[in-house]
Amino acid sequence: MKRREFLKRTGALAGVAAVSGLPSLAHAAGKPVESMTLLTANAGFDPVRPEMGRLITQACKKIGWDVKLAAEDYNMGIGKVFNEKDFDMFIVRWTGRANRIDPETFTAMMHHRDGNYNKWGYNNSRVNELSDAQQVEMDPQKRRDLVLQIQETIYNDAASSPIVYPSMTNAYREDRLKGVVPQVGEGIGSLWTDIAATTTGGDGYIRTGQTSPLKNLNPVSVTDSNEFKELRMIYDRLLQVGPDGSIEPWAATAIKAVDSTTVDITLREGMTFHDGKPVTPADVKFTFDYHKQWKAPFFISSLEKFESVTITGKNTLRIKLTAPHAPLMINFFAQIFILPQHIWKDIPEKVNVDDVLKFANENPIGSGPFKFDYWDRGKELKVSANKSHFRAPKCAGIIRVTYGSHDAMAAAIEAGECDRTRYILKPALVEDLNKINGIVGKGYSSHGWYGFMFNHLRGPLQDPIFRAAIDHVVPRDVIQAVVMSGFADKGGSVIAPANEFWHNASLKARPSSTKKAREILAAAGYSWDSSDRLHYPA
Amino acid sequence: MFDYILRRLVYTLITLFAVASILFVLFRMLPGEATMQVISPAMDPAVQERMKAAFGLDLPIWQQYFIYLQNLVTLEWGRSFVSAQEVTSVIAYRFWNTLLLMLTGLCLTLTVGIGCGIWMAWRRNGPLDVGGTIVGLIFQAAPPFITGLLLLMVLSYRLGLFPTGGMYPPGQRPDSLLELLIMPAFWERIVLPTITVGAYYLATPMLVMRDSMLEVLGSDYIELAKAKGLKPRIVMFRHAARNALLGVVTLASIMVGFAVGGQVVVESLFSWPGMGQLMVESAAAHDYPVAQGTFLMLAILVIGLNFLTDILYCYLDPRIKVSNTGLT
Repeated sequence: MKRREFLKRTGALAGVAAVSGLPSLAHAAGKPVESMTLLTANAGFDPVRPEMGRLITQACKKIGWDVKLAAEDYNMGIGKVFNEKDFDMFIVRWTGRANRIDPETFTAMMHHRDGNYNKWGYNNSRVNELSDAQQVEMDPQKRRDLVLQIQETIYNDAASSPIVYPSMTNAYREDRLKGVVPQVGEGIGSLWTDIAATTTGGDGYIRTGQTSPLKNLNPVSVTDSNEFKELRMIYDRLLQVGPDGSIEPWAATAIKAVDSTTVDITLREGMTFHDGKPVTPADVKFTFDYHKQWKAPFFISSLEKFESVTITGKNTLRIKLTAPHAPLMINFFAQIFILPQHIWKDIPEKVNVDDVLKFANENPIGSGPFKFDYWDRGKELKVSANKSHFRAPKCAGIIRVTYGSHDAMAAAIEAGECDRTRYILKPALVEDLNKINGIVGKGYSSHGWYGFMFNHLRGPLQDPIFRAAIDHVVPRDVIQAVVMSGFADKGGSVIAPANEFWHNASLKARPSSTKKAREILAAAGYSWDSSDRLHYPA
Repeated sequence: MFDYILRRLVYTLITLFAVASILFVLFRMLPGEATMQVISPAMDPAVQERMKAAFGLDLPIWQQYFIYLQNLVTLEWGRSFVSAQEVTSVIAYRFWNTLLLMLTGLCLTLTVGIGCGIWMAWRRNGPLDVGGTIVGLIFQAAPPFITGLLLLMVLSYRLGLFPTGGMYPPGQRPDSLLELLIMPAFWERIVLPTITVGAYYLATPMLVMRDSMLEVLGSDYIELAKAKGLKPRIVMFRHAARNALLGVVTLASIMVGFAVGGQVVVESLFSWPGMGQLMVESAAAHDYPVAQGTFLMLAILVIGLNFLTDILYCYLDPRIKVSNTGLT
């Protein structure tokens, strides 16, 4: 929202408020800016967030604005924001999931008026229009131009404030593991490391540590990136997101847009499921139909765009869409797992449950580069290399071990019991591990970011000028150097520099400066009383 | 005797029913939606509705309650919201893991505790009495994560004598409980958590045994036994210790119950996939079926052990007579 528009609206609201009794900013004219609360997850969930919160609240006090920090249980906080919408500001980590390489999440989903993530009431007609346009623009270059404009508008509006772009902090035993392949957003926990890395001795299995337990093996009910990371070893996808974030052919050798609503898929020949049955276009069609029939949670919105799926040849299919949808490539084709029709056609009936979401799939059979051995819930998952796969792994397999804490996982790496981390390891531990011979502790490029998010419907946060001033007080230098131990870059645009193709490089982090913030506020008519308390414009 | 057991059994079932009902209410009072953990709340509301419908969370609360009670009675404890696995199989596996850890820990603590308690009372105010009390209280005052961390730091990380955690080496899951028990790597891994549990609980049976022994040692029949010229060993073990055991038996049954559910820290520290970890995981994940199941299992254990203790009392102390109204 532009400032002029904001003032116009507050004026209009004053009239409405006079009749209806609704609160309005015009009523607040000249009054002290109200105290607000910054919500973060507690240190038990993420040690970094309360620290960032503490620094930001202290910085806000320097411009005469009282902000209190509330470090709460992560789930309760998430509930307050996304379910109850009862919050002033919050700090969140938008992780660099593979599907977030597509700009859809950080633009339309977060900043479009109707975006699923937009629980903070941001509504800018230009962003809405551009977001709608980029969704249906199938030419990547033209889509990119639109995405760059969205980023610029969001930045100028200070709609969200990226604090830092954290690296994916990982550690691995250099003396045990050779040929790791980092992926943007995933570091060495990537599928590319799974298939390319080898061990220098032992049984050839890569012992992979993770602090979150694996929750589910059902490829239809999966929604969490933790589960996607493990299931993609067992099940093939049509496409994969490559190490640099580009799309790579996988089970499909080609996916071609015939026109804006017609997509042709060519399936790789000679693929087989782990039980020896061939992978056919019928399996792919079944997969789409089955996910649609059972309203697979992660794919509901994508599948709504499917009008029909037709097998057009021995290895080809044609998909007819109801409307053009550019994010489909990464958000759908590079995510959905190909199901063996001969197994899933009888599920859930055969397994005595009334809904496929209640199916535990305790012996998953896919066609992926690894075959399932066992899953010991809460402890470990073991998969072995599928040597007949078109991208057969070089190692003997992967053993994913769940550790009780980051410290326990770091200790296991140090003791030689764990070869690498799958996901984030605390930056301080990465630093310590890197000092030990034979261990590499490093931050890998990621397109995720820590965000300082505002409720656009509350108090001064409705004013884009106020938000921009607040963005200036965020002590990014200290957060980058101290809180993140250097494993981060300062945040500017909502699409990180690691996502090179989509990132708007002209948008830099606003420099941390209390003086600058005060100047902006003063120019906009804000004032301070004798006790240096910030007041609304008169 | 039969009437007494029947009466106790009815009380036990009523208590279990109350616990089950309280658990149902408590978990639904937790802030946040059940689907929040399984499905990102940022996803389409239709997705959340889809999840609720799949697991019956869209039904009225009273209907959910009756289904829950019906499932309890028929031992159909439902499926986990998170993994879709059957609750009974999830709990059974974790229960055995915890039981293995706790039984070894409690065997250690009871053996050492009772033995030391007897000797401390027999040699009252001697160096063993004073030293034992101090050591026991230090271990009890130190939270298990301190003891466990120190053990890990010294014996595991520094000296490399024991593995850092888990029940078996990565990738070598045994196919059965027997295979696990004959695996040397399992016993290597259970040593440190056992010592941690044992040390934490040591003071209680030791001091209770000591106090009971002191009380018994002052009795006339002990004086009589000594006057008869019986050997001190016989007086101590056969006449004094057996009678002094009553207090420890009650205590042991309570300890087993709490130990099964109360070792979250030890299980986390040593990456031991047991009931404690499952309780925390499932409660945090709003995985009602698993969370209710684990807590109910704990309640069954504590209440069941109390029931057995009441019966055991009759056996251990022949002076206890049973009447229609209960114990006299």
